Amino acid sequence: MSITNKITVKRAEIVVAVILALCSIALMIKSAENRITWNAEENMGAGFLPFYLSLGMLICTVLTIIKFVLKRSPQSKDDTPFIDAVAFKFIAVTIISLVVLVLAIGYLGIYFSLIFFLAFYLRYFSEKSIAFITIFAITTPILTFLFFEWMLKIPLPQGISEPLFYPVYDFMYGGFSFAVKMIFIILTIFLPTALVLLISKFIK
Amino acid sequence: METVGFLLDGIFTSLQWFNLALLIFGCLIGLFVGAMPGLGSVNGVAILIPITFIIPPTAAIIFLAAVYYGAMYGGAISSVMLGIPGASTAVATVFDGRPLAVKGEAMTALTAAAVGSFVGGTVSVILFTLFAPPLAEVALRFNAPETFALMVMAFATFVGLGGDDVPKTIFSILIGLALSTIGLDLITGKPRLIFFNIPGFLHGINFLVLAIGIYGIGEMLWTLEETKGKVQMSKLSVNMKEVGRAFGALKKTIMAMNIGSFLGFFVGILPAAGATPASLMSYGITKQLSKNSKEFGDGVPAGVVAPECANNSASTGSMLPMLTLGIPGSPTTAILLGGMILWGLTPGPLLFTQEPEFVWGLIGSLYIANFFTLVLNIALIPAFLMVLRIPFAILAPVIFVLCVTGGYAPTQSLHDVWLMLLFGFAGYILRKLDYPVAPAVLSIVLGPLAEKALRQSLILSDGSMGIFFDVSEKPIAAVIMYIAIVLLIMPAFGPLYRRLLKKKQTA
Repeated sequence: MSITNKITVKRAEIVVAVILALCSIALMIKSAENRITWNAEENMGAGFLPFYLSLGMLICTVLTIIKFVLKRSPQSKDDTPFIDAVAFKFIAVTIISLVVLVLAIGYLGIYFSLIFFLAFYLRYFSEKSIAFITIFAITTPILTFLFFEWMLKIPLPQGISEPLFYPVYDFMYGGFSFAVKMIFIILTIFLPTALVLLISKFIK
Repeated sequence: METVGFLLDGIFTSLQWFNLALLIFGCLIGLFVGAMPGLGSVNGVAILIPITFIIPPTAAIIFLAAVYYGAMYGGAISSVMLGIPGASTAVATVFDGRPLAVKGEAMTALTAAAVGSFVGGTVSVILFTLFAPPLAEVALRFNAPETFALMVMAFATFVGLGGDDVPKTIFSILIGLALSTIGLDLITGKPRLIFFNIPGFLHGINFLVLAIGIYGIGEMLWTLEETKGKVQMSKLSVNMKEVGRAFGALKKTIMAMNIGSFLGFFVGILPAAGATPASLMSYGITKQLSKNSKEFGDGVPAGVVAPECANNSASTGSMLPMLTLGIPGSPTTAILLGGMILWGLTPGPLLFTQEPEFVWGLIGSLYIANFFTLVLNIALIPAFLMVLRIPFAILAPVIFVLCVTGGYAPTQSLHDVWLMLLFGFAGYILRKLDYPVAPAVLSIVLGPLAEKALRQSLILSDGSMGIFFDVSEKPIAAVIMYIAIVLLIMPAFGPLYRRLLKKKQTA
């Protein structure tokens, strides 16, 4: 029996409800770091609202658990797997690769991390050729850069790759004419594609 | 008469070249987003809101409203061609749209959907123009107690009318509110709920982090599970003859158009409802009232027109409380409302007097967007079919890239990106267990506004909760509060009523 068959909707329901109840309690304790009382003289303490909101959350999860025990909710009678094996693979790989992506962004910077993320993800899930995947994985970060850093002027994290971008910024904010900049943009988008296509033909 | 002048100004505002370009661009993105299975208006708006920070608010709202609108049109395309609703708002379109496509009349279904959307959109925006100014005028007299009461009513509608499990719905509302209290307390300035002393929590949790997490990452995980990366498409022949015949078939759908437009608008106004229930209700009622109700489900154009009309109408309807009261009528408008706060506007009736260009620009743009989306929709059907052939395994990583960059851009901190991933994953699991997620998004947007209104009211009343229930002092607040209480306890009487009914039947 595989692991995905063991995790039934029924089990997931109760486990999640208990986790949510514990989170609510933790939230109540955390709220109590501030004053949680309220009266006319002192006005409302900073912890008042979060405390009672999390108390409400706790009551809701307890109700969910009671409904589960009394078998009143549809989930409490559901013995089908929470997720089937094929979908589990999709979801697990997606989540892990996203976590690795965000970890990598902090270190490598977003643009290089995206190249690896896209290359891995497409190679793993799609049946596209290596040439297509390479082009896709290189062009997407370039477009992201042009869009965020050039158009919107929002810097994205670059981690250790930051020095590599200094010449690009010099060019972007240097006194070049509009036409030169446009040619540069078109080249950065199409040159990698052309190169990859050329190399892939050469290898064949 | 005054309204006509404002409306004309608004239409001219939306016809300025920059706004018009954004409007058409928004319609196109909306159509695309709507057509992709798994992505709807709410996902599109949530993912795109971070890029609107650099343009003026009027242009931003015109762009996002066009995305909202376009998605309502676009949802039908995949409902008909793939048999998978392009967005939850187009679920009911599958019922008759898919059988029509299977019969080889996909073009009829698509044309019916587009025209239905146009009629619903146009009728509702006229209703909107008529209702919005007087409602805003009434709302101008609202103070903190009334505002708070309205917000409580908005939350209560989810419990009373949402139709989901009650404890889970209330949990969702409360967790959204609790998340909105993280950060510095507005009144005392004290830091609240700073978990593990991580400084990132000091600036609070931006609603966008939750919205992109749930509607971007969470939704993609959900769709990956549903489709496993693969979809099947119907064949379609596009020629003008078919389009002509499709228009001919629309004569019989006038009743469906009426029901969809009016019902959709009023359902859309309710905070809990939005376009999805509106389209389902409209389909159900049209089917019941139709002379040939037995043919519904086998592929009749009226079965496509009714839900499509209603979802467009509801999307306009849901903007009415957003603009006039500052209470969103749907998850998408909740995100738009959060956007307005980010753009530096105060949602609510004051917008009509302080920012007439914003309000009327938006209303005017709805008229224009309707027209453009109809034309673009029919003209670009072949292009959208090509888009639908993009495997999900390619689309998904692109959406993830947009989510990660969109989650990072507003505050420029990786802390928010981590939170977004966490919310996305948690939202996916909770949604699988029938926890509604829309109330959480609504309440994280309304949370800070509700807290401010509550505490101002309590200062007014010297700390007495009675201010919300005193009919002689604050009649409007009291009435709204009592309605909210009725909505809150309504689900408790549902099973009781059913049991009584059963007893009667057996007796």
